[in-house]
Amino acid sequence: MPESRTDIALSDPERWVDEHGDYLFKYALMRLRDPAEAEDAVQETFLAALKGGKSFQGRSAEKSWLVGILKNKICDHFRKASRETSFTDLEFYADEESDRFAPDGLAKGGWVHELGPQEWENPGASLDNEVFWQTYRDCAGKLPKNVAAVFNLREVDGVESREICALLNISENNLWVMLHRARMALRRCLETNWFGKQK
Amino acid sequence: MSLVNKFKSGWRTLLPTCREASRLQSDALEQPLSPARRFGLMFHLLVCKWCRRYGRQLRFLHTAAHEHREALTAQVPQKLDPAARERIKQRLQSGGN
Repeated sequence: MPESRTDIALSDPERWVDEHGDYLFKYALMRLRDPAEAEDAVQETFLAALKGGKSFQGRSAEKSWLVGILKNKICDHFRKASRETSFTDLEFYADEESDRFAPDGLAKGGWVHELGPQEWENPGASLDNEVFWQTYRDCAGKLPKNVAAVFNLREVDGVESREICALLNISENNLWVMLHRARMALRRCLETNWFGKQK
Repeated sequence: MSLVNKFKSGWRTLLPTCREASRLQSDALEQPLSPARRFGLMFHLLVCKWCRRYGRQLRFLHTAAHEHREALTAQVPQKLDPAARERIKQRLQSGGN
């Protein structure tokens, strides 16, 4: 294949699928968490790219162009989803950590000591352990779908709060509550399934 | 807001409970807290080892996620499966004409 192309060859769309398909799919799956929806988003991306009909000198420019289109498709998806269902997951908001704080008395709102955070020994050592990351992914996978989407966008991909609020059409306070709950649930899950078993 | 309620909420800001401190420590990862809240949290952390521990762990997981993005994107399935690949190619061929 010649490196400098001035027009789009007919084989281009197929080459896109071969060269960028996996990357885009992974990108979409991370955010949408559903293989079928991710596949749709990737397909729509390629279709839009085909209509856009640009050509690039380098492969990396082509890739970021496609990722840009995919981002928009993902935005559309979230917009649609937030119109169809309330974005906040009420069950999750019932504060699943309630039992960990004293319900009344002098220590109201304080950690119930036996259930409070336990000491983690040398947590940094876990970062090189593939099993730790498997546990992390399993725990994140247990979050409600919408909360997981927020968590992945903010915590893993480092998308700015303001951008997420606009994307999902939620208030900043709402976003913070979701992040707080997600972090709390994740911490607890990792303590139970990983750090608590390391001793 | 009545004077009593104002007093109560001011009191809460300066002396947060553990439940409130856990929310504040999460919020602090997003943007700086107001001076009064920061003072309240700092004071709470001075006297509460549980919340110090909680905050340490929260920040550890926060940083770990940022710095190990690749480990977290390694979900299965990692790739488009061949059938999906073919579906997309066919769609592109018909959509391209």
